[in-house]
Amino acid sequence: MASSLRGDTADRLRLNENLLATSGQWFKNARLAAAERVESQGLPQRRDEYWGYTQPDAFLQKKIDFDVDLNSPLELFSKELSEVINYKNGILQEKKLPAIPGCSVESLSDAATLDNHWAGTVFGKLEAVGQIPVQRSLAALNTATASQGLLILVTGKVKKPIRINAVCEGTSDTIIHHIIKVERGANVTLIETGQYGARANVVLEVEVEGDGTFNHIRMQNGHEHNALTHIFGRIGTNSTFKSFTLTSGGRLTRNECILDLVGDSSRVSVAGACIGDEKFHHDDTVFVTHNAANCESRQVFKKVLRDGSVGVFQGKILVKAGAQKTDGYQISQSLLLDDNSQFLAKPELEIYADDVVCSHGSTSGAIDEEALFYLRSRGVPKAKAIDLLTLSFIAEAIQEVESPELADALLAHVTAVLEVR
Amino acid sequence: MLEIKNLHVQLEEEDKKILKGVNLSLDPGKVHAIMGPNGSGKSTLSYVLSGKKGYEVTSGSAHLEGNDLLVMDPEERAAAGLFLAFQYPVEIPGVGNMTFLRSAVNSQRKLRGEPEMTAGDFLKAVRDKAKHLKIDSDMLKRPVNVGFSGGEKKRNEILQMAMLEPKMCILDETDSGLDVDAMKLVAEGVNALRDKKRTFLVITHYQRLLDHIKPDIVHIMAAGRIIKSGGPELALEVENNGYAKLLEESS
Amino acid sequence: MGIEMNNVDVKDGVDADTVEAVRALSSTYKYGWNTEIEMEYAPKGLSEDIVRLISSKNNEPEWMLDWRLSAYRRWLELKEPNWAMVDYPSIDFQDQYYYARPKSMVEKPKSLDDVDPKLLETYKKLGIPLKEQALLAGVEAPEGERKVAVDAVFDSVSVGTTFQAELKKAGVIFCSFSEAVKDYPELVKKYLGSVVPVSDNYYATLNSAVFSDGSFVYIPEGVRCPMELSTYFRINAENTGQFERTLIIADKGSYVSYLEGCTAPKRDVAQLHAAVVELVILDDAEIKYSTVQNWYPGDENGKGGIYNFVTKRADCRGNRSKVMWTQVETGSAVTWKYPSCILRGNESQGEFYSIAIANNMQQADTGTKMVHLGKNTKSRIVSKGISAGKAQNTYRGLVSMHPKAKDSRNFTQCDSLLIGDKCGAHTVPYIEVKNNSSRVEHEATTSKVDDDQLFYCRSRGMGEEDAVALVVNGFCKEVLQALPMEFAMEAQQLVAISLEGSVG
Repeated sequence: MASSLRGDTADRLRLNENLLATSGQWFKNARLAAAERVESQGLPQRRDEYWGYTQPDAFLQKKIDFDVDLNSPLELFSKELSEVINYKNGILQEKKLPAIPGCSVESLSDAATLDNHWAGTVFGKLEAVGQIPVQRSLAALNTATASQGLLILVTGKVKKPIRINAVCEGTSDTIIHHIIKVERGANVTLIETGQYGARANVVLEVEVEGDGTFNHIRMQNGHEHNALTHIFGRIGTNSTFKSFTLTSGGRLTRNECILDLVGDSSRVSVAGACIGDEKFHHDDTVFVTHNAANCESRQVFKKVLRDGSVGVFQGKILVKAGAQKTDGYQISQSLLLDDNSQFLAKPELEIYADDVVCSHGSTSGAIDEEALFYLRSRGVPKAKAIDLLTLSFIAEAIQEVESPELADALLAHVTAVLEVR
Repeated sequence: MLEIKNLHVQLEEEDKKILKGVNLSLDPGKVHAIMGPNGSGKSTLSYVLSGKKGYEVTSGSAHLEGNDLLVMDPEERAAAGLFLAFQYPVEIPGVGNMTFLRSAVNSQRKLRGEPEMTAGDFLKAVRDKAKHLKIDSDMLKRPVNVGFSGGEKKRNEILQMAMLEPKMCILDETDSGLDVDAMKLVAEGVNALRDKKRTFLVITHYQRLLDHIKPDIVHIMAAGRIIKSGGPELALEVENNGYAKLLEESS
Repeated sequence: MGIEMNNVDVKDGVDADTVEAVRALSSTYKYGWNTEIEMEYAPKGLSEDIVRLISSKNNEPEWMLDWRLSAYRRWLELKEPNWAMVDYPSIDFQDQYYYARPKSMVEKPKSLDDVDPKLLETYKKLGIPLKEQALLAGVEAPEGERKVAVDAVFDSVSVGTTFQAELKKAGVIFCSFSEAVKDYPELVKKYLGSVVPVSDNYYATLNSAVFSDGSFVYIPEGVRCPMELSTYFRINAENTGQFERTLIIADKGSYVSYLEGCTAPKRDVAQLHAAVVELVILDDAEIKYSTVQNWYPGDENGKGGIYNFVTKRADCRGNRSKVMWTQVETGSAVTWKYPSCILRGNESQGEFYSIAIANNMQQADTGTKMVHLGKNTKSRIVSKGISAGKAQNTYRGLVSMHPKAKDSRNFTQCDSLLIGDKCGAHTVPYIEVKNNSSRVEHEATTSKVDDDQLFYCRSRGMGEEDAVALVVNGFCKEVLQALPMEFAMEAQQLVAISLEGSVG
C-alpha cells in the first residue's frame, strides 16, 4: 500500500482532530488508534493484490460528484415486520430511539461524549484485528472519522428484527459505523435497507458471545452509488452468525466481510446475490478465519450480470493450526446474460490443520440453453423464461437466509427487480 | 484359537463403556455366532479385535493362538491370521481392486517371512476364487469398493478372505443390506472356506444368515456382555421369541 | 507388478509397484551422491563479463550474445517476485557460479564413446530412466522395445544425445541448445523468446542472460516423432546455478512426447535452478510434455535443497493445436513453477496434470495458467497436492477467458491432501471470465488422509506407510495415468518415497 496519504485523507483526519475535542476517552482512544493505522498503512492502490479486480479510486477521491435522482426505495419489509430506525444522508432522524425488549439501542453521537462505554471493547477493536493479514485502511479511516451510527447491545431474545433504513440524497457522501454486541445466549436480526448516496463508507462491527445468534439481511438497491462496506465479526463458542446481502443497483459496490471464529462449534454463513446492468461493478470480498475447532463456515454468492457489468468475488477460508474438524464451504457463481459482462473470481483456501473438510467451487457461464428451451416449449416467452431461470439461480443463495418470511420478501423483491428492468 | 477374557472397552473420546466383561473361547474348526440387539456391542467387539482406533481397552485380554492381539498393529493382527469382513467396506478411490488385494497378500506373506506370490500365481488364484463368488473381471479392475452395490461389496470381502486364507474370520453383519440371492452367494463363499483349522465368528442381528452358515455355537450378547451361550437352537429361540425374553432372564 | 500383469491389465499394474518400491528403497533420497569430476568454473558472480564469457565458451554468434546482454540489462532493473507463498532466505546472486562444466567436456565429444566414463556412470546411478541409461552408454535397444532418445545435461553442459541418426531420418532435430544455435540459427532466432519474452519475469530474464545449455527440438510438418524424447538434468557442482533452456517447436500436424527428469546431489547449501521451457505448437500439432522433478529437497530440517524457479509456457499458436503438461513435483526445497498454456489458435487445447508432494520443510507454490484467446478453445486442470511434515503446498492458477475466446471451456479440479497437523495446503485460483458463451468450472477440496481407508488397508495386512502410499497413489491416479508408462512407474515409486517418515 502507498505510504503517503493523499490530501483528502489528511483533510479527513484533520476533521477527526476537531471531533476528538468533544470525544469521551473510550471513543478518543479508538479514533486515535484508527488514525494511526491509516497513516502507517496508507490507502489502497490499484496495484495492490487485494484491489486487483476493483479499482479503489472512487473511495480515495477527495470529492465524489454525483447528483442523480433517487428512485423511491422499494418498501421491502413491511413496517410491522420490523422495528425501523431512520437515517437520512448519514444522520440519525429519530428524536428518540425505540425501546426494544431484549436490547438497548443508542446513537454513537450521544455515546461518544461519555468517558466509559460497553462499546469500547468492540469499537475499532474488531476492525483493528481485521487489518491482519490484509490491510483494510478504508475501514480504519471510517473508525477514525465516523460520528454516526448505532450501538446495539443485545441482552436477550429480540423478537422483531431491527431495521436501519438509511436513505441518502444523490450528492451525499456518508460515513456510518454501527456496533452490535450479542451477549451470551441472546439473539437478534438486523436488517439494513435504504439507499446509498454518491458515496458511502459503512462499517459494522459485530461481536457474538457464546451461544448467541446474529442474523443480518442487507438490501443495496437504488441508483449510482459508490459504496464500500465492511462487516467485522468475532464469533464465540456455539454461536450462529448469518449475513445475506442483495444488491440490485449502484455503480460500484464492494462488500467486505471479515469473520474471526474464536469459539468452538460455531456456525457462520456469508451469502449474497446481485443483479447488475451496465456500469455496475460488484465486489464481494470475504475472509473467514477458523481460529477454533469444530466450526462450520459457508460462503455462497451468486451474480447475475449483463450489459457490461462486472462481478468480483474474492473469498478466503483460513484454517489456523489447531482448528480441527473445520467444515468450510465456499461457492461463487455467475450468470452472464450477454457477452459484455465479466466475472472475476479468486476463491482461496489456506489450511494449516489436517482434520478438516474444506471445498470451494466456482462456475461461470450463460443461461442453460436446455432449461430455456424447456420453458419456452411449454409456452413461456423467452424474456420471461430468462427471468425465471435467473430467479432460480439467485434463489439458491437466498436459501441461506434463516427466516422464511424474510427469504420470501427477498424473493419477491428479486422478482420485482427482474420485472422492471 | 481365540481367547477373550473379561474384556472391558470404552470409547476413547467420551466416557462411554461399551463392552463390560466379554468372555469367549473359540476352538479351531468351529463356527460361532454372536447375536444381539442393536447397540449391544457386537460391532465394537469386532473392531477392538482387529485394532481400530478410537477404543480403549480398560481391562481384560484377547489372544489369538496364545499371542496377545491387543498389543499388535492392525497389519500384524492380519498377518497373524485374523480377518474382519467389514459391515461397511471402505471405498478407496483410484486404487484398483487387484492392486489392493495383491498388496495385502504379499504384505502378509512378507510379515510372516514367506516368499511373495508371483504375479502369475496370484492372478490365477484370484480369477479362480472370483469365479465362485460371481465376481467378474470388471469388478476386479474397478477401484476398491467404489461404486459397488451392497452385495458386491460383501462378495468382495469374502473374496479377500478367500485370498488371504486367515485362521480366524470375523464376519460383522455380513448379511446387512443383502437380498436372499446375494446372501446365499456370500454364505456359499464362507462355507467353502470352512475346515478343521479355521474358526469363524459370525456377528448378526437376524437368524436368517445362520440358515445358510450353520453355527456350532451361538452366543447372545446384550449390554456389552455375553448373556447366554448354547447350540444352534438358541438362534431359533431368538427368531421365534425375539430378544426380550432372553434379556429378562439375564437381568 | 511384473510384465505378466501388465499384459493383462496395464492400469492395475501401475499401482502395485508403489508398495514394492517402498520396501525396496530404504534411503530417503537415492540420488543424493555426488560425482567427483574435475570441473571448470567461470568466476563467481554475475556481470556483463560473465555473460560474455558464457557466450564465448559456447562459441556463440554475435546475435546470441546481444540477446543475452539485453536480457542481463533488463534483469538489473527487475525485482525478485515475492507474491508466492514460499519463504526462503534471500539469494545472493553474486555468490553463485553461473557456469560450470566437466573439464573433460572442454572439447565436446563427437560421440558418446568420447564421453567421460564417470559422467556416464552418473547417469547409470540415477537409475532412471529405466532403459535410457543403457542407451546413453550406447547400447542398442533390443528389437521391439520402445525407444527413447535422451539428451543429458550435466550441470551446464549437454553431455550427449542418443539416437541422432534415426531421428535425422525422420527429419526431427533433437540436439543441445548450443548446437542448435550453431547449426539451426534461423529456427532459434525465429522462436527463441517468442513464448517467454526476455523480460517476462525475474527468473526467466536471468535465465535468458546466463543460460548455458539445454535441449532443442524441431518436429517438421506432418511428422510424428518416432520415439519419445527425453532430457535428464543433473546439478552436480557446488554453489552452481543451473540455467537450462528448452525450446520445442512442433510444426503443422506434428506430434512429439517429451520427458524431463531432474536430480541433484545432497548438499547443505541451497542451489539455484532457473530454467525456461518454451513450446511452440502450430496448426494441428501436439506436444506432450512430462516432468518428474526430483531435485534434492533438502534434509528434514530444511537444510540445503534446490530452489526451483522455473518458467514453462506453451504457445498453442496454430488452430487445433494441443498441449499437455504433466508434472510430478516431489523434489526441491522451494518450487515456483506454473507451466502455462496460451490458447491462441481456434479450437486449441491445453491440459495440465499435476502431482505436487511437499514433505518435511519443503515449500511448493505451483499451478498453471490457461489463457484462452481463440474461439472454441478447451482447457482442463487436474491438480493433486499432498502436504506432509511441516511442508507448505500451494496451488496457484489462472483461468482467463478473453472476450474473443467464444464458446470455450475450462474445467479445473484441484484437490489437496494433508498428512499430519503441522503442514499447510493452500489453493489460490484466479478466474477471469470476459465472455458469456464460455463455461468455466472450478472445484477444489481439502481433506486429510482418510482414517477408515488406512485402517481397512492395515486390517488386510499392509503397514502404515504402505497403506498411506497406496491411498495417496489412488488419490493421484488421474494424473499418473496421464504420464507415459515408464514415467508412471517411476512416479509411483517417487510418491511412496517422498512420503517416507510422514506417518507414525
